[in-house]
Amino acid sequence: MLKTLIRRELLDNLMTFRFAAAVFITLLLVVANTIVLLKDYEQRLTAYNTAVQESHEELRAEKTYSGYSGTLVVHRPPNPLSIFNLGLDKQVGNKIEVYHAFVPTIWDAEKHGADNPFLNLFTSIDIVLVFQGVLSLLALIFAYDALAGERERGTLRLVLTHPIQRGYILFAKYISAMLCLLVPLLISLLLSIILLTTSTTVALNTDDFLRIGGIVLTSLLYVSLFYLIGLCISALTRRTSTALMLCMFVWGVLVLVYPNLILTAVDIVPQPETQISVYHQIKQMWEKLDREKKQFIRNDAVLGPPSRGGEDMDAGFGLEGVEYTFWQGEDKPSILLYFHQTGLYAGKIKAESEPQVPHVQDYYGFYNRETINTVQRTWLVRKPALEAIYIQPANLGRMLLRFSPGGLYDAATEAWAGTGLEGTQDFFSTVQRYRRAVVDYFYDQKIFESRQWFAADKGTADWDTLPQFSFQRSDTGINAKRALPDMLLLLTMNVILFTVIMLIFIKSEV
Amino acid sequence: MVWDIAKRELYDNLNSLRFALATVLLLGLMLTNAVVHLREHPERVQQYRERVSGHQNHIAAHAESSLYDLAQQGPGDLYKKPSDLRFCAEGGETFMADRAVGGYHRWSTGTLKSFWILTYPSATPNRDNVRPEVTKVDWGFIIGYVLSLVALLFTFDSISGERERGTLRLTLANPIPRHTVLIGKFLGAFISVSIPFILAVLVNLLVISTSSTVHLDAEAWGRLGIIFFVAVLYTCLFLAFGLLVSARVQRSAVSLVILLLVWIVFVVFMPSTLVSIAGRSTSSGPTYDLWERSSKLHGELRRDYSPRRHKEPEGTTKRMEMDGAYVTEDAEQQEQLHEERLTRRIAEVHRARAITRISPVTIVQNLIESFAGTGFERHLQFLENVQTYVREFRTSIVDTDNADPESLHIFGVRTGMSQEPVSPEAVPKFEDTLNLSKDFNTAAMELLLLTLFVLVLLSGAYLAFVRVEV
Repeated sequence: MLKTLIRRELLDNLMTFRFAAAVFITLLLVVANTIVLLKDYEQRLTAYNTAVQESHEELRAEKTYSGYSGTLVVHRPPNPLSIFNLGLDKQVGNKIEVYHAFVPTIWDAEKHGADNPFLNLFTSIDIVLVFQGVLSLLALIFAYDALAGERERGTLRLVLTHPIQRGYILFAKYISAMLCLLVPLLISLLLSIILLTTSTTVALNTDDFLRIGGIVLTSLLYVSLFYLIGLCISALTRRTSTALMLCMFVWGVLVLVYPNLILTAVDIVPQPETQISVYHQIKQMWEKLDREKKQFIRNDAVLGPPSRGGEDMDAGFGLEGVEYTFWQGEDKPSILLYFHQTGLYAGKIKAESEPQVPHVQDYYGFYNRETINTVQRTWLVRKPALEAIYIQPANLGRMLLRFSPGGLYDAATEAWAGTGLEGTQDFFSTVQRYRRAVVDYFYDQKIFESRQWFAADKGTADWDTLPQFSFQRSDTGINAKRALPDMLLLLTMNVILFTVIMLIFIKSEV
Repeated sequence: MVWDIAKRELYDNLNSLRFALATVLLLGLMLTNAVVHLREHPERVQQYRERVSGHQNHIAAHAESSLYDLAQQGPGDLYKKPSDLRFCAEGGETFMADRAVGGYHRWSTGTLKSFWILTYPSATPNRDNVRPEVTKVDWGFIIGYVLSLVALLFTFDSISGERERGTLRLTLANPIPRHTVLIGKFLGAFISVSIPFILAVLVNLLVISTSSTVHLDAEAWGRLGIIFFVAVLYTCLFLAFGLLVSARVQRSAVSLVILLLVWIVFVVFMPSTLVSIAGRSTSSGPTYDLWERSSKLHGELRRDYSPRRHKEPEGTTKRMEMDGAYVTEDAEQQEQLHEERLTRRIAEVHRARAITRISPVTIVQNLIESFAGTGFERHLQFLENVQTYVREFRTSIVDTDNADPESLHIFGVRTGMSQEPVSPEAVPKFEDTLNLSKDFNTAAMELLLLTLFVLVLLSGAYLAFVRVEV
């Protein structure tokens, strides 16, 4: 019996204009956008590869170890699944310095030089966005007359004269409509995957296909939710035209208005007070280090008391043959970044300065060790402050977006694709670990107190044994774990809505 | 007769569910827009004022020291004035810098210091980069997306619905020309869409103008009038389109499906897709690393000048002239470099914007932006203002120097320039202005395009309805 019902509904749906239009529009939008997004991805990949190559060569050109500041740069590869959900993949910087004097975070990253910041003026698009808009609309178009239309035409009464349970009718309608909606979804996804696999630059592995599977599953839940919303409206209204009108307004509000409205209305501005106080705290820690450094120099028999270099001894420590000094610091109060480093590069050290060299080495051993300790202390303050100022408002915004199905869908697919906040943070925690590894390597090899730290005359820096940076996207299991809460929410909403419709439909008079 | 039909349509619509829903939706959006504007705008204005006084203090401090200091340190940062009509169009202002930077220290050797140059920093929305990306609810959004959707919902069944119910045949049995019926229907739909929109706009403006913190001047009201006119034109476009499809299609459900799908393609997805295509074709090319090129250029110049400079003994006029030439040439080169990069970036955006004009929503948003004094065209105007000001500032420096008989008139060196302090009042100050006639000029093309769209669709609807069988 159920089979007959489903077949009838399916045939009814398949032969309609809306089905043809649905398939056509989804295919058109998805294929057109896949081509565009693919090209965009390839371009970003090329930019990434060139940048990696350039940084590699730049680092090799450094002769002293201390020269790695500013030249040891790691790059964030573009995520191939950003074609499905762009998320933060383009928004966040893709180039970050690794240096022992600060802990790299998502805010310290910069964009490659070729990027045109004005192009941010235009909104970007991805396949999930297309689905979010088009499939929800199509689901409502399929649903609005499912019950109201039959009631209007009187066929519902006819069907109910047969000994069929009302639940069966509802179920048959749901199944057949979902099958119809699956057709454009799957065909368009298939085409876009074919396009992806024919491209030589995009290498999708099995894990990626699992992730895409997750995206498809989430899409299914999303479409089903909108179909049920339409069905609910259809069950509640007497006339199809009213149902249609209500559906369109519900769609407009849920997809178009709510996400933009809520984030415009609830715009959380970071509190400048905490920002300023934390920034000063960090600055004080660095000033303390500066005093300790000067104390160390003064206490040293050979280096101090200050002679030629003045109070700040880094001008040369009286080493003959110094080429130039370097100073490095960052001062960005808005992201609580502050550090201050002084030092020198020495070209050729003359023989008469030789006795001073061990003292300078000692000094650098001390200074770098204390710098790392200071960074550790500032990080303890900076990390929670950054989270309070930036992450929490962003997460609050994301939470508010989840009140619309579109927000849930977006969040879940972002988690699958690994382009969400957590997925992007993965990269930066890898960079933080890498910085730790570099520092450990410098400690192990006693590089901080070596002559090669500041002078290149007796042996130059050896970059080949430096730990290599590599970044792997998180496991599919982790992706799934991150996507699961949102998917479960979608599922629960589906179940609840189905039950509600069932109750309404069983009680309603025909 | 036209009027009778319009009135009938209007009464039909006023009692309908869609009228109530549209009113609630538009009112809610406009109210939120007004409240958010009142919350954010005073802060922006206050910040701008502080920055302007900072710029003036900067000039005063350096002018009092000496002419050389003033020329070397420059006029400080030059800030963009926030538009009072920001609630009409947010215009992606967060993605554009709110300042042009003058006067920062690049290098110094001995007594020589680099002269200030005008640079164009890019906005770094670094702190916002973890937030979810959404469109701000401004008039542009409300008109571009919501109002157009409402216009379609009001017209999709105006002809096909009557045909379904059979009343169209009845109407046409009377001796009324078909175009009268069409115009009547158009007017009826137009008025029924306008009522909720005007209501929402009035509430929005009422909230904004009654507040004591935000002030709108006469010009702003004029601009608002133009924006309203643009919104009306845009609504007409979608009404005409709705009538066209409704006249051609037998069933109203099919008509709505077609309308919505066309709408979602043209309004929601087309702009971003087109931009991606345009962006792809333009931004490929060699990487343009400004800092690398800048240091390379400066290095070449230094190698070129250094031996020649050091041949002359310190303190002679010849050495001073050489030093001055070095400094000024460096400043010119570097400034040109920054300008080149800016020009490249602007050209890219221009290309992308030209392509997106196929979508009516982009046209209307561009129009609203230019009349609200926000967005990209406004940014270009600001840059132009800055460049004019910088020329003025430089001329004033030269003039002041020429007026001093004791000066050697060698720019770029402290000893070569006038030693007298300059009165801060004599130095031109930067003030960013918005110019309505200029805005009108940039917008004229788009306005024309929009009108053309409306005319084409209206005549299309006419033809479709005249030839259709009932």
